[in-house]
Amino acid sequence: MKNGHPSAKKDSQEPSTANGTTLISYLLGGLAFWGGIGWVVDWALGFSGLFLPIGLGVGLVGSIYLIYIQHVRS
Amino acid sequence: MGADLNVAAWEPGCHIFGDGCGFEAPGTELFNPTPWVDFGLAGAAGVTKYYVLAALSVVVVLAFWYFTTRRAKVVPGRAQGTAELLVGFLRDQVTRTTMGKEGDKFLPLMVTLFLFIFTMNVMGLIPIPGFQVPVTTSLAFPAVLALFVYILWNVIGIRRHGAVGHIKARLVPSGVPAWILPVVVPIEALSNFIIRPATHMIRLFAVMFAGHLLLALFAAAGFYMFNPMSPMGPVLGAVSVGYSAIALIGFLVFTVFELFIMAVQAYVFVLLSSIYIGEAIEGAH
Repeated sequence: MKNGHPSAKKDSQEPSTANGTTLISYLLGGLAFWGGIGWVVDWALGFSGLFLPIGLGVGLVGSIYLIYIQHVRS
Repeated sequence: MGADLNVAAWEPGCHIFGDGCGFEAPGTELFNPTPWVDFGLAGAAGVTKYYVLAALSVVVVLAFWYFTTRRAKVVPGRAQGTAELLVGFLRDQVTRTTMGKEGDKFLPLMVTLFLFIFTMNVMGLIPIPGFQVPVTTSLAFPAVLALFVYILWNVIGIRRHGAVGHIKARLVPSGVPAWILPVVVPIEALSNFIIRPATHMIRLFAVMFAGHLLLALFAAAGFYMFNPMSPMGPVLGAVSVGYSAIALIGFLVFTVFELFIMAVQAYVFVLLSSIYIGEAIEGAH
């Protein structure tokens, strides 16, 4: 929250409901996108279940990193 | 619940300790009424009880504001006081906490949204025969409201920060090293532009859907278990009345609880709308 910004006038308490919704959106988004990429790569290259777990892992790590950046570190 | 429940358990003679006719729980048929007027369009539900109840909700909201504000005074009476209490609550708990002073211009929208959603939800508790269902248990209604907020979120973001600024603010988190961006930008895109509006709509729909189904189950079970004239004897007849009373108590307790949930869900929908719009005003995060 920078000084002079509209948000600077906000009350300090951040509604936790929003955080909950955002966290779920990040987790679903990460798993769906990178898991989806992994699944497509598996399908295109003729593998079965090789890149899908890798994609899911990348998505999960990316999601948790985003949650950390947006809601823990700030 | 009355005519709402079109299930076998409600047919005459189908009771516990009866002639072997089993209980059939109410299902999704509660939420798929036969249309009175069918437009013949694929995917269109036609004119159903939802249509009528949504129109009734609009009338109720208009009437509320008409009767509470038509003789507005500096020192409010009871009716005006109720309306002011609602506006004050949403200003202090929703718009000011998420958007600061700037949120005041969105207060009329938030108050209207809250009251409209709450009224649509409460339609599930008003025993109008054949019409008793929360309007928000039809996915179309939360979907349109969530779509409206989504469009508003984009319009405000683009007007404040330009199209590039708005999209960049939503896709590129600040303070992230450039080499991680290829991993997190697609997650941000999917999360902010698709999953978040979807969850905004589904949360309201699913909670109201499940709540109404639970109430219907208690009502149907109470009816099924009421068999004082059981052919298996008066003892089992008395037991069946006891069972039925338990179901009735459950029904009453959950009805009160459901009223609370209806208010909470309307509040959460408005709170999330306010947070999203506040985020669009703020820009980069």
